[in-house]
Amino acid sequence: MDKKQYTNFGIWGIFILLMGFVVPVFFPAYRVILVTEAIIFSLFAISYNLLLGYAGLLSFGHAMFFGTGAYVTAIALGHIEGLPILGAVFIAILATTATGFIIGSLLLRHKGSYFALLTLAFNALFYVIATKWHSITGGDDGLSVTRPDLSLGFTTLNMSDITTFYYFTLIIVGLAILFCWYFTKTAMGRTVLLIRENEERMKFLGYNTNISRLYLFTFTGALAGFAGSFYALFFQFTSITAISIDMGTAALLMAFIGGTGTFIGPILGAFVYIFLQDFLSDFTDRWPLIMGLIFILMVLYIPGGLSGLFLSIKERLSGRRAATGQTETEGQNR
Amino acid sequence: MKQAKNILEVRNIHKDFSGLQVLTGVDFTVAENEKHAVIGPNGAGKTTLFNIITGNYKPSSGKIIFKETDVTGKPPHILTRMNMSRSFQITNVFPEMSVFENVRAGVRSRQGLRYNFLKRPERVAGINQKTEDILEQVGLTDVMSEPVSALSYGRQRALEIGITLSTEPELILLDEPTAGMTREETAEAIRMINEVTTGRTLIIIEHDMDVVFSLADTISVLHYGTILASDKPDEIRNDQKVKDAYLGEE
Repeated sequence: MDKKQYTNFGIWGIFILLMGFVVPVFFPAYRVILVTEAIIFSLFAISYNLLLGYAGLLSFGHAMFFGTGAYVTAIALGHIEGLPILGAVFIAILATTATGFIIGSLLLRHKGSYFALLTLAFNALFYVIATKWHSITGGDDGLSVTRPDLSLGFTTLNMSDITTFYYFTLIIVGLAILFCWYFTKTAMGRTVLLIRENEERMKFLGYNTNISRLYLFTFTGALAGFAGSFYALFFQFTSITAISIDMGTAALLMAFIGGTGTFIGPILGAFVYIFLQDFLSDFTDRWPLIMGLIFILMVLYIPGGLSGLFLSIKERLSGRRAATGQTETEGQNR
Repeated sequence: MKQAKNILEVRNIHKDFSGLQVLTGVDFTVAENEKHAVIGPNGAGKTTLFNIITGNYKPSSGKIIFKETDVTGKPPHILTRMNMSRSFQITNVFPEMSVFENVRAGVRSRQGLRYNFLKRPERVAGINQKTEDILEQVGLTDVMSEPVSALSYGRQRALEIGITLSTEPELILLDEPTAGMTREETAEAIRMINEVTTGRTLIIIEHDMDVVFSLADTISVLHYGTILASDKPDEIRNDQKVKDAYLGEE
């Protein structure tokens, strides 16, 4: 059972990776930029879904980590002479890990609506700090970022080149996504699912469920910071948008559109979101209205998201009952 | 006669829920390897007592001594790590997970593999084997890949015991393990409980007197929040107070 699942994922993984590598060959620069953005948001949406889909924790504050990652990257590159590009990413991850741990330890006793409201409140606090602390964050003006070139010893990669930055993102962010997938198979990944299923029983099996939530919250915060760091490098700019509640809602939308019940869902959601947004904004400035309508329709009629829809079509085609697809439905909310 | 060491001492436990007195001074001791039954009418406070012993509730007053350590008010996960384990009256499992994963959760917890971000449980030596052993003991080997929700009630009850065993406890507390079972299922459950609790201490809450008298070597009668008597089965059977209060109905 497990082996087959790994093989399946392996085939899909290789397929997606190959597709990723040939994107710049077949598509114009403009599309390559969009795919780069979608990859970055995939990581953000996955980190969000580890909270929502896997742990059942609804957060409205995920942008505080995304934004902190973006700001720390911009500030580090602006203040540290000769800081390598991966050094900046690393500092952003360290900073958001610490942030996640501190905020998480204040939240860890809360679940459900209290948790959701507290994350919202903390995000508002972070937003205010980013707006008001002008000397550090640039306030409403934001901060510009210069992407340093990547020195590999034998050669130096020019990061201002669209294709080079695309491959850099594909590999580094791709590795992070791969680790997230691996995480869902680890002891901690299983623990998160089991606690969502039955927290009381887990306590009686020797698990400290508050500590578990804290670890997960810190981990997803660090991942969001990772994505935020790449967001700053991608736009070569960080503004208060990165740390606004809207940014957290974007992650929620992506996870939901793609489906919170599968690992691949948020990736799908991120791509649909980014491309749809690009497509719609060609026609109208009112594109968030249409996105909102799509979201409402998805919640009402396709609560499993696109990946859930595909799974149920696949199951119907192969004539299997949903109940037997245990390994595929593990990540589901219900 | 040699006196076995006490594994558990319940000392003068009181519990009230916002004014409602549920336990009014419960005292009893359980010796190592004893099979101890707690009986009493509905509402006597048996499950409340279990919840206090296992750390789910804090007592209003009194002490719980487990393995000569005062564990009053300690949370369940700490008591579990000290080798205490319990089952639930209402099946309390992980319904969407496979039977195997249900039991493995406890097995890996015992081995300290709880929050590891790098190790996969199936790759750690002994965990799968230990899980399979427990599934074999409770007779669920044939359904180990099935999701729990697909199991019959009787088999979910067996899993309930399997999960309880998964943390390798020294002290096992079973809360009405045969509740809702058919006569055949009950007989099978007694045989299984007898087998898996060999060499361990058992405290069992039961309504079925056949189960109680076939399993227990000591019986405590809980009546309106206090222990009426705590003695060997034959003594309990002939105890006038117990007859009047409880057994007399038979």
